[in-house]
Amino acid sequence: MFIRLLKESFVRNPRRKLLTCVALVLGMAVATSTFTVAVDVSDQLAREFRSFGANLMVTPQGDTLPVEIGGVDYRPVTEGTYLSVSELPKLKSIFWRHNILGFTPFLDVPVSAAASSGNAAGTSFPVVLIGTWYEHSLVLEDGTSFSTGAFSTNPWWKVRGQWFAENSSQCVVGTALAEKYGIAIGDQLNVSAQSFHTSKPLTVSGIVSTGGAQDEAIICSLSTAQEVSGKAGQFRNLFVSALTKPEDAFSRRDPNSMTPTEFDRWYCTPYISSISRQIREVFPDTQVQPIRRIADTEGRVLSHVSLLLWIVTIAALIAAALAVAATSATTAMERRSEVGLMKALGATNLLVGGLFLSEQLFLAVVGGCVGFALGAGLARELGETVFGVPTSPRLIVLPIILAAAALIVMIGSWIPLYRAAHVRPAPILRGE
Amino acid sequence: MFKRLLWHLLNGNRVRLTVALLALTSGGAVVSALMNLEFDVNHRLAQEFRSFGANLVISAPSATGSRASSGLIDASVMQVVDPMGSSKVVASPDLYVVARAGSAPGRDVVVAGTWLDRIAQISPWWKISGSSSLSRGDLTHCLIGRNVSRNLDAIFGSIVTLRYGSRTTNLTVAGIIDAGGPEDNQIFANLPAVQTLAGDAGKIQLIQLSVAGSPDDIRAVQAKLQSALPNLSVKPVPQITEAEGTLLHRIRFLILSTGLLILVLTALCVLATMAALAMERRKDVGLMKALGGSMRKVLRIFLAEVGIMAFAGGILGYALGVLLSVWMGERVFGTRIAPRWEVLPATLFLMLIVAFAGALPLRLLGNVRPAVILRGE
Repeated sequence: MFIRLLKESFVRNPRRKLLTCVALVLGMAVATSTFTVAVDVSDQLAREFRSFGANLMVTPQGDTLPVEIGGVDYRPVTEGTYLSVSELPKLKSIFWRHNILGFTPFLDVPVSAAASSGNAAGTSFPVVLIGTWYEHSLVLEDGTSFSTGAFSTNPWWKVRGQWFAENSSQCVVGTALAEKYGIAIGDQLNVSAQSFHTSKPLTVSGIVSTGGAQDEAIICSLSTAQEVSGKAGQFRNLFVSALTKPEDAFSRRDPNSMTPTEFDRWYCTPYISSISRQIREVFPDTQVQPIRRIADTEGRVLSHVSLLLWIVTIAALIAAALAVAATSATTAMERRSEVGLMKALGATNLLVGGLFLSEQLFLAVVGGCVGFALGAGLARELGETVFGVPTSPRLIVLPIILAAAALIVMIGSWIPLYRAAHVRPAPILRGE
Repeated sequence: MFKRLLWHLLNGNRVRLTVALLALTSGGAVVSALMNLEFDVNHRLAQEFRSFGANLVISAPSATGSRASSGLIDASVMQVVDPMGSSKVVASPDLYVVARAGSAPGRDVVVAGTWLDRIAQISPWWKISGSSSLSRGDLTHCLIGRNVSRNLDAIFGSIVTLRYGSRTTNLTVAGIIDAGGPEDNQIFANLPAVQTLAGDAGKIQLIQLSVAGSPDDIRAVQAKLQSALPNLSVKPVPQITEAEGTLLHRIRFLILSTGLLILVLTALCVLATMAALAMERRKDVGLMKALGGSMRKVLRIFLAEVGIMAFAGGILGYALGVLLSVWMGERVFGTRIAPRWEVLPATLFLMLIVAFAGALPLRLLGNVRPAVILRGE
């Protein structure tokens, strides 16, 4: 009887059900998509912040003072200590290896350069030769290769022409330097380190603009700079771009004073401090420090922005809940005469209430499921447009959405149903 | 007559209209809070991004930072740049010199001459132990990076001897900088002290500016400075400005799309209410038509009803939205977000659009035939 009544209600009046269902589907789609995006947004924004460049710097321990202005080291080759390139694959073996998005070794060599062709032919000038990787594929310990270099740690570097090819005698010249001496793409430069008298011919493949002191330098592949400086297989400092979690009260504590459980928790959270420590574990003779200009600001802005977006999401969820509740209240109100009839025929309040609730719950489940599917699609689209990476649907959201849908329709139809339960059948049957 | 009918309609369907009003109010609240925040969020976020430090650099053309005297500019430029400064633009001059520090032979260290009183604004991420508030005219003190401190064994109160060519100067360490960057390897002193040491009296190398505002504001300041200083190059720091621009854009887009979704949802809720009302009012409409009311007149009454609800929902929503955005501002940015009056008409407008979109089912009433209704079918 109960089931039949329920079935009849859906078959007889599909249009009214459709309205509640559409409201549920849309409301739950909004809830699913905002929620899914919000869950991902911190990660996505953290990734977005990586376009500010590296946030960790690795330098040799016991190094002499770098004579560095605007990001270029002017120390002579003979001074200071070096790190070895062969150690670099270890960086992708630390606990948070997947959070290491890129790293770039730098070797700055003060050289004297002489142009041998083009407009600038015949001029010679002192300049810094920066050896680095632009897009280098590094073979890791597990045999896979990892593409890294300045494109990931210094994404704002722009080149006119071509970047230098790996293992070639090509170089790119900073815009300021190119302008000053009239160097053009295709020109030949002979560079030689002051302390190491072999000259190396380089072909200019592009003009680079960085906004820093690199605009007055020559950038070439690391191997070329190593050859010029006689420091085979070595580099001066390493810039690492790592995905991190914003610092909080816990991460600011000294790891040495933590209990073993706390230490494990700290170690297994991608704080910049725990990643630094893990890097130091694989490179024992180094100093690893966060580049605070980037890391600090990133942490603060990131936590503020994610809080903001969470509040917006919650506001959206509340508005969605109210809209759905209002719609289901409207449809429940329409059923007064039906309730009167049922009661006149002897139905108890319990039966009538149960009937309506099961109806609404059925709608909630159907609407919630369709809404989830729609919302997942919407979140995907939203992630794609905003961050260029589609947001993957999370199944964990489905039960939450279903429970929320059930709760909302129940709350929404509670008052009308309560009133309907107290309807006196006689006036209804008289058609009043 | 029109008014009386309207009053009866509003009064007679109180419960149902309350439901629609609730939806309009909640939608209006969230949307107006988002709009209120939207106006402010750029400004607030731009303020937050200022902790990245300088985003514009003024230097001699084709020279950025290397130690070549051709790259020097006259310090008097600061007199042009600085008055343009306000709370939104902070400028700081820089002159770098590689001097030898410590007892002979000493070691090379980069000495930067700047305005020490501007450090907290231009490089807010530095942690300075010791006295961080030095006046611009103090020529006897310096701040040293922590690596310098370690390398030279200099601590708070030590005297550091700097030599450049034949000139020497002695500075007392007033503080140690932990900057987590290249500044840890540098010594900072007031500009005149470094100018004297370098023998470049009245010269500076570059001016760093920290401009608060959207990428457009930064470009405007850049254009203004460039036209005031045609002989110098005014360039944005691409590392900061580019990334900042895309981030701001994305955050705004997220907030806007959420607002749009909420508007659609509100419209749907009004639609549901109105569809139900239209069904219920078939009898009333039939009667009105039978008594000679034209369809236009009848519809006008219903639309006025919707309009009143949208108006009420918009105003209530705006009031709630302002409260919500003030709370959000305090919670997120720790500052009060001032309510903006221009959000009120915008909210009312949006609510009207949403309500009228939701009132489309009222068109169904046009199909009502009086005879059928009067027969009681």
